[in-house]
Amino acid sequence: MTRFIIEREIEGASSLTPEQLADIARTSNQAVDSLGVPYTWVNSYVAGDKIYCVHETDDAETIREHARRGGFPANVVSEVANEFGPHTAELKSA
Amino acid sequence: MTVLTRGGETGRKRPSRPAARSYPERVELLERGRELGALQAAVVAAASGTGSVVAVTGDAGVGKSVLTAAAVADAAVRVLWSGCDPLSTPRPLGPFRDVAADLGLGDLTQDVGQLAEVCEQIYAALRDTPTVLVVEDLHWADAASVEVLRFLARRVETIPLALLVTTRDHEVGAAHPARGFLGDVARLESCERLPLPTLSREAVTTLVGETSLDPGRVHVLTGGNPFFVTEIAKQPDRPLPVSVRDAVLARIADISAADVETLHLVAAAPERIDDRLLPALGVDLPTLQRLDATGLLAPAGGGVGFRHELARLAVESTIPPGGAAPLHRRLLDAHEEVGIRDPAVLTHHAVGAGDAGRAVTYATAAGEQAMKAGSHTDAAAFFETALHHLDGSEDDLVRAELQQKLGFEQYLSSRLPEAIGNIEATFPLWSAAGDFTGLASAHDSVAVLEYYNGRRQEAESHADRAADVATEAGARRIYAGSRVTRAYLAAQRNEFDVALAACADAAEVAEATGDAALAVRAGMFDAIVKLAQGDVEQRTAVSKAIATARERGLDELASTGFSNLVYHDVEHRRLRDASQVLELALPFAAERDIPICSHWQTGVRSRLHLLRGRWDAALEDAEVVLNQRGMPLGTMWPFLVSSLVPLRRGVEPTVDEPLEAAWRLAESLDEPVRRLPLLAALAEHGWMTGEVDERVSGLAVDELTRLGDTAGAGWALGDLAAWVQRLGLAFQRPSELAEPYRLSLDGKHAEAAQWWHDAGDPFAEALALGDATDPELRIRGVELLDGLGATATADRRRVDMRADGIDGVPARPRESTRANPGGLTNRQLEVARLMARGLTNAEISAQLFISPKTTDHHVSAVLTKLGVSSRRDVMLQSEELALT
Repeated sequence: MTRFIIEREIEGASSLTPEQLADIARTSNQAVDSLGVPYTWVNSYVAGDKIYCVHETDDAETIREHARRGGFPANVVSEVANEFGPHTAELKSA
Repeated sequence: MTVLTRGGETGRKRPSRPAARSYPERVELLERGRELGALQAAVVAAASGTGSVVAVTGDAGVGKSVLTAAAVADAAVRVLWSGCDPLSTPRPLGPFRDVAADLGLGDLTQDVGQLAEVCEQIYAALRDTPTVLVVEDLHWADAASVEVLRFLARRVETIPLALLVTTRDHEVGAAHPARGFLGDVARLESCERLPLPTLSREAVTTLVGETSLDPGRVHVLTGGNPFFVTEIAKQPDRPLPVSVRDAVLARIADISAADVETLHLVAAAPERIDDRLLPALGVDLPTLQRLDATGLLAPAGGGVGFRHELARLAVESTIPPGGAAPLHRRLLDAHEEVGIRDPAVLTHHAVGAGDAGRAVTYATAAGEQAMKAGSHTDAAAFFETALHHLDGSEDDLVRAELQQKLGFEQYLSSRLPEAIGNIEATFPLWSAAGDFTGLASAHDSVAVLEYYNGRRQEAESHADRAADVATEAGARRIYAGSRVTRAYLAAQRNEFDVALAACADAAEVAEATGDAALAVRAGMFDAIVKLAQGDVEQRTAVSKAIATARERGLDELASTGFSNLVYHDVEHRRLRDASQVLELALPFAAERDIPICSHWQTGVRSRLHLLRGRWDAALEDAEVVLNQRGMPLGTMWPFLVSSLVPLRRGVEPTVDEPLEAAWRLAESLDEPVRRLPLLAALAEHGWMTGEVDERVSGLAVDELTRLGDTAGAGWALGDLAAWVQRLGLAFQRPSELAEPYRLSLDGKHAEAAQWWHDAGDPFAEALALGDATDPELRIRGVELLDGLGATATADRRRVDMRADGIDGVPARPRESTRANPGGLTNRQLEVARLMARGLTNAEISAQLFISPKTTDHHVSAVLTKLGVSSRRDVMLQSEELALT
């Protein structure tokens, strides 16, 4: 499975209420379940007029299929090449 | 769940080129060079600012979509793709809703006011940016979309739009709403029809040449149908299928039963299944991928569908008996669950599922949507569907209201007899529900419709019943409304006192109840009745009432006001006033989508043209009225025009026995005054042919006596008296006699002729001159008749004049030396009037939405027919040329 970052352009995204986010989450979950292939929705971040999502599946086409089924835009789909954080500093070879 | 859906209610947005998930390569076009060139030329022209329409026609599978896609593939301008669906009753404004977002328009279902506004909005959105708009499958189009397309087609030269429409023309029969559009394409200069032929044997050879298939056999089997040939070419090792269906089904021969069922599901959806429904339908990604491999499916505008309708039909045919209903139910439930609620689509599935309750709900909603969009035929179809699914357990009122709506839509789509039938069917329902106001109102509606239908007796009895029921129920307003109807009916029979009393009644109730709409109505009819009696001052009152009605949005009342005003203007020979009223009235009726009023007013215009000597335009209008379904009441003068113009010209009428048809109508109207023009026409026939109908020698003479003092009948009586006199029959002179006829009967022929000249009626002028004894006047009369093209009438006068020993009777002029002002068509009259006002060609083009080239064309024709050499002549002679 590969990780992907998806950018979704949605005007007024930051004004979505908790109820609306709950609705969206439900729709997304239903879409994931309907795919019938391994798929994980990891997390999403709302910022400005965009929603950034982190998903895991085998290919970008499946990401787009999920988006179609949920009725979400998928403006940019990028494969995550690497992930790192503060802990990565310790891995530097001495 | 509405926040993140894209593209509105149905989320449909077709890609700029239909591309399958697994469609292998770009399809190679064979033998389409000329057609491709034509389409590409249209695209290029649009890019440089000149619009055009191309209708690509042909059978299913001949490659209309593929060709169009190829033509726009590399277009330098924006391409908008839309289409119509094979629903049992189409979605109103379906294709335009697909592209509404791209055009920057709101959701057309919510915001749609009147159809005319929608047309203007769409036109405005296409005016500034060069665009290719593709509309596929016109044969499935709804009536409102066809109206928009016709609107665009008539103005396309002036906007940078390439409107490409595909259609199976064999499926567009005479009664199909799209027929009008195809007719326009045939007539208009900037529109072209592009029929696609089937493939030749050479082309088939190219497609199957490298396989072991025998091209000859394939060509014979497929008839050159590209879809069929391609199907066969893809499976060259299988035995030749017998039909397209077999070819398609061969592709699914090896897939699992579960997958077949999914294909059935897709087949049951008209056009495609929206992607958002897939979770609710339980169709997972691996299934889709397997089905993709069959090559039968393609992504289609936000969903999954068959790549060709023929494929869908083939698969649909394998759904086992009773298997369709559960599929429709699944689709219906999924739509509801996901929240996609297009009533037309939901109706289709509810009906397919056999779910009566939901069918009623959605069909009713779809009907109302269609009503608002101005698709009255479709609205009627939806209401009929809803009614069909009522199971008898619901409230009588529900059925009554549905039937009433259906009746109204049928009336608006010019199906009067059915409208009457449906509203009559509501009578027992209102009674059973104890709603006597509803019952009275229904009777009142039927009264008016029966009158339009030409059945006076029925109209009167319904109006009376409406009044009785309303009185019993204490429904004062409905009572007053029915009194106005009664007034109208009385006035048509010249029973003016009855009419005025009824109007006064209604006005009283209006004031007492503060009902402003009723007050306007009562006031309008009061003024109309007085105008009918001859009080010219009332014109102002009628015009004011029309303006008030318009302000209050009482469109039908305003249009009725126009209809009555122009009718009386014509009757009283205020011909220029009538012309001006029509210039306001007809666009209004068109704008507000009241075809039944357009129908009536066109009939009045036919008579106006007759009186003004513009006989080709008169025949044009008469033909329109007689060929359209509308109100029988409006056909009287068109029949008379269709009889008199050929008679006067000395040619055969194109309408079958028009006078007899008019006679039958007059009988059921039972309005003796209205029958007088018929008797006059019969008399004119008798005078021309020498065979006088016994209705003339008997009834006509009697009626002149019997009706001689009927108020408001002076014109009809005068015209009949003039003809009876020409025939040499004895008659009693009517006391009611309009001025010019009085002058003639008094022997003051020159004065009568001058009166007609001032009024602008050249034929009547010529007849008055011909009635004189002074040879010079009679000669002038014949010259006038020749100028009008009234050859037969002129010849008849010549016979008399020679018999009277008059010298210098002018001979018949040769065809080519005759100008023919009476030969201007309605369109040319429009152009001529604008020329007379001094407009340049560019200004005329702008006003009429036609290209400069087309304007030049019309201007030439006008100059030729009027027999003048310059537009300055047209301006100077506009009065004499009867252009005002």
